Amino acid sequence: MTPDLKVTLAGVEFSNPIMTASGCCGYGEELADVFPLEKLGALVTKSITREPRLGHPPPRTAETPAGMLNAIGLANVGVKRFLAEKIPWLETQKTKIIVNVAGSSLDEYVEICAMLADCERADMIELNISCPNVSEGGIQFGTNPAMTEKVIAEVKKVFSRPLVAKLTPNVTDIVEMAKAAEQGGADVLSLINSMVGTSIDIETWQTRLTNNKGGLTGPAIKPIALALVDAVHSNCRLPIIGIGGIATAADVIEFLLVGASAVQVGTALFVEPDAPVKILNDLTSYLKRKQLARVTDLVGQVRKY
Amino acid sequence: MKKLATTTVSVTARRDLRNDYYSLTFGPYPRVTKCRPGQFVHIRLPETDILFRRAMSIASVDTDRREIEIIFKVVGRGTTVLSRYRKGDQVDLLGPLGNTFSLPKKSERALLLGGGVGYPPLLYMATHMVRSGFDPKSIEFFYGGRSDRDILDRTRIKKLGVNFHPVTEDGSFGQKGLITHAVESFIQGQKKDRMRIFACGPEPMLKAVDDLGLREGINGELSLEAPMPCGIGVCLGCVVPLKQGGHARVCADGPVFAIGEVIL
Repeated sequence: MTPDLKVTLAGVEFSNPIMTASGCCGYGEELADVFPLEKLGALVTKSITREPRLGHPPPRTAETPAGMLNAIGLANVGVKRFLAEKIPWLETQKTKIIVNVAGSSLDEYVEICAMLADCERADMIELNISCPNVSEGGIQFGTNPAMTEKVIAEVKKVFSRPLVAKLTPNVTDIVEMAKAAEQGGADVLSLINSMVGTSIDIETWQTRLTNNKGGLTGPAIKPIALALVDAVHSNCRLPIIGIGGIATAADVIEFLLVGASAVQVGTALFVEPDAPVKILNDLTSYLKRKQLARVTDLVGQVRKY
Repeated sequence: MKKLATTTVSVTARRDLRNDYYSLTFGPYPRVTKCRPGQFVHIRLPETDILFRRAMSIASVDTDRREIEIIFKVVGRGTTVLSRYRKGDQVDLLGPLGNTFSLPKKSERALLLGGGVGYPPLLYMATHMVRSGFDPKSIEFFYGGRSDRDILDRTRIKKLGVNFHPVTEDGSFGQKGLITHAVESFIQGQKKDRMRIFACGPEPMLKAVDDLGLREGINGELSLEAPMPCGIGVCLGCVVPLKQGGHARVCADGPVFAIGEVIL
């Protein structure tokens, strides 16, 4: 029998737990040349801001051992062009759409989410309160529990469909932020965003990013992400989307075992653009081998010493 | 056939060229007929902690044998790993990616400028033009390097029948000086509106070529190099600023840009 891959988060049913991570698949057009997007549980768009953003000057990515640093700086087309140019194409894709929203002020978050409220195809919003690469906003909202709660509560007033709060690992206690997000009315948590890091060229003594620091992603951060998902799952009732260095079905299974209900594949898409397809095949084989009828049978089942 | 896909191919030939340069030929590559001059393949380096693929310009294609060739110099960890591949080893390619050099008019004189590691796409361009029926004598092939040891594949270039202009900084082979100086003296007194430049090489060279083209009113195209995490336009890591404002992705909007288009 084919195992059931369906997962339900905050009342929304996804065909499987595999999503793309924000900033790793643009608005989906390029990836659709590689595989049909209906294979995905959901596509998470690049962060949308009120105004279009060019992002930081290059260089804005650097390779690190088993990982990468990026300081793109939220380059995006802005919410107006997103609604006018990107949504009509996304509407033709048979997958769930989670629109990632970033802002530099409370007003900006609320304004963008209010505009998306009228856009039926935005099945969920993921609130980026954790971007490490912009000078104002973003991470300020995600590192202060009162601000986390406030921004989520205000957005909930204008957007009635489920809201995902994307949490940063760059805090002392991520559980405190998770609880603040829950208090504010978040329906789902996604974690982790990238970890602040940097890299220096020892010949020129120059940092490798014009932003001087960036967000570390890729396999290098997977163990950290797993521990943080475990911590949040153990202390918070909201469903979790696990993110951080996921490249294979084995990675997905680890995240599900520590309590994630779904996952996002990010940096791995840069290396293997069809990684989600391979992951789904291998995940199905694994469930069959373990004689599990549903992928949800794995969630939170980690055995601890 | 999907627009984009990864393909596993084998190394069918490996040539150890001089001065840390290597040539690798891969096949059978079902997408060989889709390849055009200026495009690149993105090569995975598995079983290492090297995360990103490596973008390599296509240096030649053989549609009968379904093979493609890359030529590269060992400059870092990625190229070191690549240089260790041997005949029969399997390699995972994503491609062909990027846009292409555009063919000039048959009435135009093509100035092909390859500087050092930027030589391979010009070899492909020259070969493609000759195969497409261009008169080899309408092609001026400038090849610049630091010294004699940097100028590869001389017999191969000469066999194409193109006008070959090797240039070395130390004068140990061909003309002495910089490639752009050699081009500048070549164009003196010639009809510049009937010329078209195609160039690939280090950034200072491309900047000089861009300046030369704008100053002398010669149209043309530059192929840029940039570290590319994804190669397919999604990560926005390899952008270059445009003169008209905004950024372009070297991988998906390029790597070939018109002279005067990019801020170098």
